[in-house]
Amino acid sequence: MLDTRNAGSVMIVGGGITGMQAALDLADSGYYVYLVERSGAIGGAMAQLDKTFPTNDCSM
Amino acid sequence: MTLSEVVAISGEAGNFRVTVKEHPRYVDVNKCIACGDCTAACPKQVDSEYDAATGRRKAIYVKYAQAVPLKYQIDADSCIRLKKPGACGFCERVCTAGAIDFDDTVKQHQVEVGAVVLAPGFEAFDPSTAGVWGYGRYPNVITSLQFERYLSASGPTEGHLIRPSDGREITKVAFLQCVGSRDENKCGNGYCSSVCCMYAIKEAVMAKDHVPGLRTSIFMMDMRTHGKDFDRYYQRAKEESGVRFVRCRVHGVEPEGDSGDLRIHYINEQGRQVEEYFDLVVLSVGLQIPGHVKKLSEIAGVKLTSDNFAATSDFTPVSTSKEGIFTCGAFAGPKDIPQSVLEGSAAAAAVADCLAPARGELAREKAYPEEREVGGEDPRIGIFVCHCGSNIAGVVDVEAVADYAQSLPGVVHVERNLFSCAQDTQDQMVQTIRDKGLNRVVVAACTPRTHEPLFRETLKSAGLNEYLVEMANIRNQNSWVHADDKKMATAKAKDLVRMGAAKVARQISLQPISVPITQKGLVVGGGIAGMTAALNLADQGFEVHLVEKTSGLGGNARYLGHTWSGEAIGDRARRMVDKVAGNENINLHTGFEVTTAEGFVGNFRTTIATRDGLTKTIEHGVGVVAIGGKALRPREYGYDRIPSVVTALEFDRLFKLKEQHALGAKSVVFIQCVGSREEGRMYCSKVCCTHSVQSAIELKQEDPGRMVYILYRDMRTYGQREALFKKARELGIIFINYDLHGKPVVSENGKQVTVEVWDHVLHRPLQIDADMVVLATAIVANPDAEKLNRLYKLSVDGDGFFQEAHAKLRPVDFATDGMFVAGLAHYPKPVEESVAQALAASARAATLLSRSQVSLDAVKAEPNLEYCDGCALCIDVCPYHAITLVEGSAGGGAPAEKKYISVNKAQCKGCGLCQGTCPKRGVAVQGFTMEQISAQIEAALAV
Amino acid sequence: MSFEPKIIAFCCNWCSYAAADLAGTLRMQYPANVRIIRVMCSGMVHPEFVTDALDQGADGVMVLG
Repeated sequence: MLDTRNAGSVMIVGGGITGMQAALDLADSGYYVYLVERSGAIGGAMAQLDKTFPTNDCSM
Repeated sequence: MTLSEVVAISGEAGNFRVTVKEHPRYVDVNKCIACGDCTAACPKQVDSEYDAATGRRKAIYVKYAQAVPLKYQIDADSCIRLKKPGACGFCERVCTAGAIDFDDTVKQHQVEVGAVVLAPGFEAFDPSTAGVWGYGRYPNVITSLQFERYLSASGPTEGHLIRPSDGREITKVAFLQCVGSRDENKCGNGYCSSVCCMYAIKEAVMAKDHVPGLRTSIFMMDMRTHGKDFDRYYQRAKEESGVRFVRCRVHGVEPEGDSGDLRIHYINEQGRQVEEYFDLVVLSVGLQIPGHVKKLSEIAGVKLTSDNFAATSDFTPVSTSKEGIFTCGAFAGPKDIPQSVLEGSAAAAAVADCLAPARGELAREKAYPEEREVGGEDPRIGIFVCHCGSNIAGVVDVEAVADYAQSLPGVVHVERNLFSCAQDTQDQMVQTIRDKGLNRVVVAACTPRTHEPLFRETLKSAGLNEYLVEMANIRNQNSWVHADDKKMATAKAKDLVRMGAAKVARQISLQPISVPITQKGLVVGGGIAGMTAALNLADQGFEVHLVEKTSGLGGNARYLGHTWSGEAIGDRARRMVDKVAGNENINLHTGFEVTTAEGFVGNFRTTIATRDGLTKTIEHGVGVVAIGGKALRPREYGYDRIPSVVTALEFDRLFKLKEQHALGAKSVVFIQCVGSREEGRMYCSKVCCTHSVQSAIELKQEDPGRMVYILYRDMRTYGQREALFKKARELGIIFINYDLHGKPVVSENGKQVTVEVWDHVLHRPLQIDADMVVLATAIVANPDAEKLNRLYKLSVDGDGFFQEAHAKLRPVDFATDGMFVAGLAHYPKPVEESVAQALAASARAATLLSRSQVSLDAVKAEPNLEYCDGCALCIDVCPYHAITLVEGSAGGGAPAEKKYISVNKAQCKGCGLCQGTCPKRGVAVQGFTMEQISAQIEAALAV
Repeated sequence: MSFEPKIIAFCCNWCSYAAADLAGTLRMQYPANVRIIRVMCSGMVHPEFVTDALDQGADGVMVLG
């Protein structure tokens, strides 16, 4: 782990859909992102859902 | 950083020091190849958290099949070896990659960052604590999350709906709503969880699909399907799928002997006591903030509401009480998937606003050697056959495959690797490509969906064009699925390698397409959403053009009083207007309308004009559409005919101006859903329930002697707004439920008005004499949407609202790249949701504006001008409007006057619908050309 | 020797191809007679491919998307 001292980086706590979206948008806009997730994999609650309204798409 | 939690945060905005504690995984992620041998060998089984305890997992496991990172982990609480050194250790013995590390320890990391975003999510309410529903006591009472797992093809029963007690297929299921929500007695959660009504309907509909003839009943107080298209789904569930809805709160579930059946007592809408039996009861559990998140907010120094959600302002919905720390998702109030995704983007915008000067300082780019030109060479194919430990080699005779590969045309090098993806193998591969002068590569290993990017990198590092690699999927689609037929699997592996070699031999170098970006934004609409987006982009340092049709900014906010939490809308909107006017990055064009538009992502050109014909042309890279909505002018309940029947906005104004009639009213009736949720406008306007309740409270507080009635269909004070509904009832405001087929009747009666409605509690018609009747009218789409839709090739739904690219995952993007939507133009919504969506649109726009050019994947359609005769069949099928018809000489010796197509690479997504449609081989997707696919077919059938 | 048909399956990268991968991850077993050709969208599959495959001896063609 790098110890950096700069404001160009952001920490996101939580790797569910909302955290992932924030991470992607920030990384795509030129910020260095640390994504911290409590469990062993990102995905959060949505990964547990079977299908979602309205298209009944698989939620993966 | 997985298995990690934040334990300390110090510092301030722009300069935080965060301490992260990383728990041991006991599996080296750099070595683990996710083969699953360890799990197979592990003797210890425990309940799976992922399956909400409906299924089991091992002590060494992967969270779920599609997990990212797809790396195994050991659960220290159940692992035999970790509890008792020397015992078990089977996983370590079977792991061919040597990834197991029982000595792994907790690590502490210090990270310095400019901002922190808290997105810790929610937990489902645990109904076992309350006791009344029998959860935990009767096996056939399960939570909605467990039911979701039973429904899932990847769940414990592969989607078969059975009762846990005896495994019998279910025939009659009850859903009980508001378990852990809207209930301070049994769970202490007074708020509405917002999502359970919708997920219960979805689960009921899906369950009926799984089990034909299944009877489903949803017991609820109000159906809160306030989201976009939700009411239509509710309607279809009721009318087409036959889901039964019963308006009643159920307070207990009892077992019927030991049959496993469950008895529910309730009072039906006719007021009768009913006893009904079900073989499964699903508890629609609410969302709540888990204990560890409360701790996290203490660590971060962030204030919470009385419901334990992060406290935010409606005008800064993703900013916490602490500067530089932001929130998104369910942490700041229960919310559904699209709202959570949108807030993720909104938080990104808020962070970017605060850190804009440091943008790009830490982003890194990798350097590669110069690419070797291979165009003139004959194919020199290298084939790398991966063993994947024993995953492939245990089934497929890899040696035979490698020997066979040697005989294929164009193949000059074949080798086998224990793990082709391992870093040392990668380095060797780079060396081999250089040493042997390879110009095409086939990797026979796992799936290109996960590993193609890795091997493309390898080729780039070796100075080859990254598109000159093809993967033969001999693991996921071969050794793993044909484990018991080694001979056939080996034969198939040979076929797959032959197909890969045939395809890659016909592959040419492709250059990623780069499109320059005009680093300016256009925002159409100067209401709250438009101003928010413009201000955020401007504060991030981008030049913005804000176009407003009317002469002034503010939009609908000019007519609104307070947000649900009591913040004054007018004041905030006025401050926003001042900020917009004073921002040097914003070019304001009031009184202008968009008249023409052309171009594509990064390169739009929009012309705007005033009514007197003054025009301006704006070049911009992105566009945000925030043209708002309008209040419906009602045509029922005597509006326009009876002076004391007014709309909610009119009433607000009268009341504010202390108009005699409004002020002196002793009896006021609010009628909800005027123009909403009925034929022709089958959607909920989302804000009116809360608005009426707020007005009613104000009336009652001013004069407790006033009689205030709210006639409603479903009271939709969702989320933390539920507190207002509760307060209104406590103040003595009378709520009367009516349904669509029994609308209230309003008639003039001297100076007063009589409102007649069927009372479901008293079971007789009720006549109310009212001094004023307030109609909660629908929000309708702005008619200008049609025009913008045409100009920018966007899309509009049947209600006239703009259609986002994906209802769940891309809630602010349009299918047309570079265009975004925010506010009422998308769907009716309250202020804080408009602001969040505007911030989200801004964040999405900034991902494009922050670069001077975008690189796009090179897999795009390419016309073949020799064959294309301009028949234009492909133009109609292209979903991205990327193809245009051109007339004239195509150059390169083509006839002078000819029609042919031209593909805009920036818009093309490489789907190949054009290729599938073209009768003359006039267009092909690079990397999937007709020749390549034909070669694959031929190779597949050659032996 | 028993009849072993050869089936060509065109699978969309985003759905059916991913599903075929997942079948592997879940170790579902099926006969080894199918040869999958990955496409970026099932709409890319030209009718000619189907007839070509049948002409060249395929016993069946599946287009999955």
